[in-house]
Amino acid sequence: MTRTMLTGNAAAAWGARLAEACYVPAFPITPQTEIIETLAGWFADGSMRGRFVTLDSEHSMMTAAGAAAAAGVRTFAATSSQGLLYAMEVLYTVAGWRVPFVLVNVSRGLSAPITLGPDHNDVLAARDSGFIQLHAETCQEVLDSILMAYRIAEDDRVSVPVLVNLDGFFLSFTREPVELPDPEEVRRFLAAPESRPPGFSASRPAARGVAVLEGPTYSYFRYQLHLAVEQARVVHEEAAEEFERRFGRRHGMIDGYQLDDAETVLIMAGSFATKGRAAVDRWRAEGRRVGLLRLRMIRPWPTAELAAALSGRKAVAVLDQDLAPGLGGILFQEVAAVLARCPVRPSILRSFVGGLGGKEISRAEFDHVLQVTEQAGPNEGPVGPVLLMTAREAEQVGQRLRIAGHVPEEALP
Amino acid sequence: MSTQTVRGAGLEQRSVNRDGFGPSGPSLRIRVRFHGRGGQGVKTAGRILGTGAFLSGYHCQDFPVYGAERRGAPVASFARIGNRPIDERGVISEPDLILVADATLLDDPAAGVLAGNEAASALFLNGNPDAPLPDLGNRLHLIRWDLTGAAIGRLGRAGALSAGLGAAAARFVGIVAEEQLVEAIRSEFTHLGLSTGEVDANVAFGLDVFRALPTVSFRDVAETEEGLGDSVVPMIPADPLAGGPNVISPGNATLRDTGAWRLERPVIDRDRCTRCGLCLIRCPDGAISWDEEGLPVIDEQHCKGCLICRQICPIHGIGLEEEARP
Ligand code: SF4
Ligand code: SF4
Repeated sequence: MTRTMLTGNAAAAWGARLAEACYVPAFPITPQTEIIETLAGWFADGSMRGRFVTLDSEHSMMTAAGAAAAAGVRTFAATSSQGLLYAMEVLYTVAGWRVPFVLVNVSRGLSAPITLGPDHNDVLAARDSGFIQLHAETCQEVLDSILMAYRIAEDDRVSVPVLVNLDGFFLSFTREPVELPDPEEVRRFLAAPESRPPGFSASRPAARGVAVLEGPTYSYFRYQLHLAVEQARVVHEEAAEEFERRFGRRHGMIDGYQLDDAETVLIMAGSFATKGRAAVDRWRAEGRRVGLLRLRMIRPWPTAELAAALSGRKAVAVLDQDLAPGLGGILFQEVAAVLARCPVRPSILRSFVGGLGGKEISRAEFDHVLQVTEQAGPNEGPVGPVLLMTAREAEQVGQRLRIAGHVPEEALP
Repeated sequence: MSTQTVRGAGLEQRSVNRDGFGPSGPSLRIRVRFHGRGGQGVKTAGRILGTGAFLSGYHCQDFPVYGAERRGAPVASFARIGNRPIDERGVISEPDLILVADATLLDDPAAGVLAGNEAASALFLNGNPDAPLPDLGNRLHLIRWDLTGAAIGRLGRAGALSAGLGAAAARFVGIVAEEQLVEAIRSEFTHLGLSTGEVDANVAFGLDVFRALPTVSFRDVAETEEGLGDSVVPMIPADPLAGGPNVISPGNATLRDTGAWRLERPVIDRDRCTRCGLCLIRCPDGAISWDEEGLPVIDEQHCKGCLICRQICPIHGIGLEEEARP
């Protein structure tokens, strides 16, 4: 075991290397490029064995990944943002093929306007594709989640691809200390890639992903995909237990912080949960009973875990780093659906949208979230979404609008 | 208020308003922001500091921001160091220490060099220590030093400042030992694929800077916590047609002085030029036009110094000059 400084991208590459992925179809896109460059270097110098293939687009890349996984090869792919959307058609296809592999998405806001900064609209657009989804908070978790992702994807009860998400910039290019697990220990955690049964052999031809033109059979297979993704709950828990035994770190479907006696719960996903934790510490120091709940697994949706964790609380605030125009925060809607199943339902529910396109979520914004949530009366509307933006940032937006020739007074306070 | 001035070999350190700022308390957290131009190595400088702190046993985090810029454009990188786990992420809006690789960035509002935490920032400026300065606010320390001169001395190049910049940051922060700094520089430059000779020269450059500069003091963590005093503002629905990311007023790009991005300037040899026009066609910024004599002339306010014109000129008739820096 070695401890070293790694970017989130390098940690993702190490995940693929330690898992001994032997096929990497590649198409680089900012801020994911460093993953592909790192892997290309390792295939070139012999640190990784197998095939590294550059493709003409994310669409081809995802097709190649699915086909290789169908052939029984341990496959790794990575993309980001518009690239993930370009591959979206194939995401549904390969999940339907029921082939296990790992796809990393480095979150980046979607166009337009064009940006390189992160938010979660890209990865959440894939939430109904059939891929299992894990969201990392730290560079360490990026690496660990990739190892767990292979374990889950390749389990016979699941056999579905897994998407591991990390935030662009705030993880992709951020270096922090990361522990590299011992390769031998990883080999014991994951089946050796060569021990996996081949998907095809010349003596036993087969067709996968065939056409099913009658509705009932189609329905059957789609629902089977749902059941397989559901199975990932059990398999994830088993994997998490063994992972902890071998490597000393536990990664749950949800990650609670100061939840035990919390009256108000703040829900977030991704790297900014680190800042959410700091906000909780600050509020706790003022004697306010607040906790943080981080969504680490988004598909399958941790319904039972959330219902158990939120039951009996006074207030729940969801901070989405995504926005569904005409609806609001996506995760908020999913959390709200869970609350219908809570035996003792929190009476206050608030929705906030922050950190879009790489925008900061500052101390003032966290304080605002808590203040609004604590001051809200039970069952009082509207619940949001409130767009988080500080006075200083609004001033900056106004300046940009003026330069562009807009009349800012109409758009800003 | 007491003001103290220290002058060393090429070094000026002015400490403002020192009263009440002792050495760091038990809870250490230092936020460092590097500003430079693409190609000057602020990303690597941040990594040298991060690795140095890591090797010295501290919690740390470092990261650069990239846009769609290129050589010469304003870029920044960040590092956080502490003796507790780092519970922050993202850009540093309120740094304790700012290092500026190129003092001309002070004139570029888009670079935002001086933004945030005015009273607490220690500010390092690379450039001529005697050049006049704009109003820099009430900085805790102002350190001016000719890093470029030191780089030319050791490396023979003006642009590659990362080892020196990283070493300066490590010195100011005061928690990185010389041995760890050397290891950090070696590891970063080996990672970049430099030859042993180049790595050694960068180590020597880093050590020159590290030994010449002092450590500085910082305010307590609690006092410099980010985002204090800001407030959240409500959004108001805008006119739908004004709600799109469109530039309505024409021509404002000409006001942006992208000529300040140049580290080196192309110089056309007008006596030898054959007027083939290749430089004019290939300039990605349209910064070359014909003058009355039918010879190419460069728009100095907007030429970014990419030197594509110099590469493309079939008679090798375009030379280069080091851009004069204040
Ligand atoms: S091509 Fe030459 S003139 Fe044009 S921006 Fe580059 S250096 Fe300047
Ligand atoms: S490319 Fe060279 S020769 Fe041709 S016009 Fe430009 S400077 Fe003159």
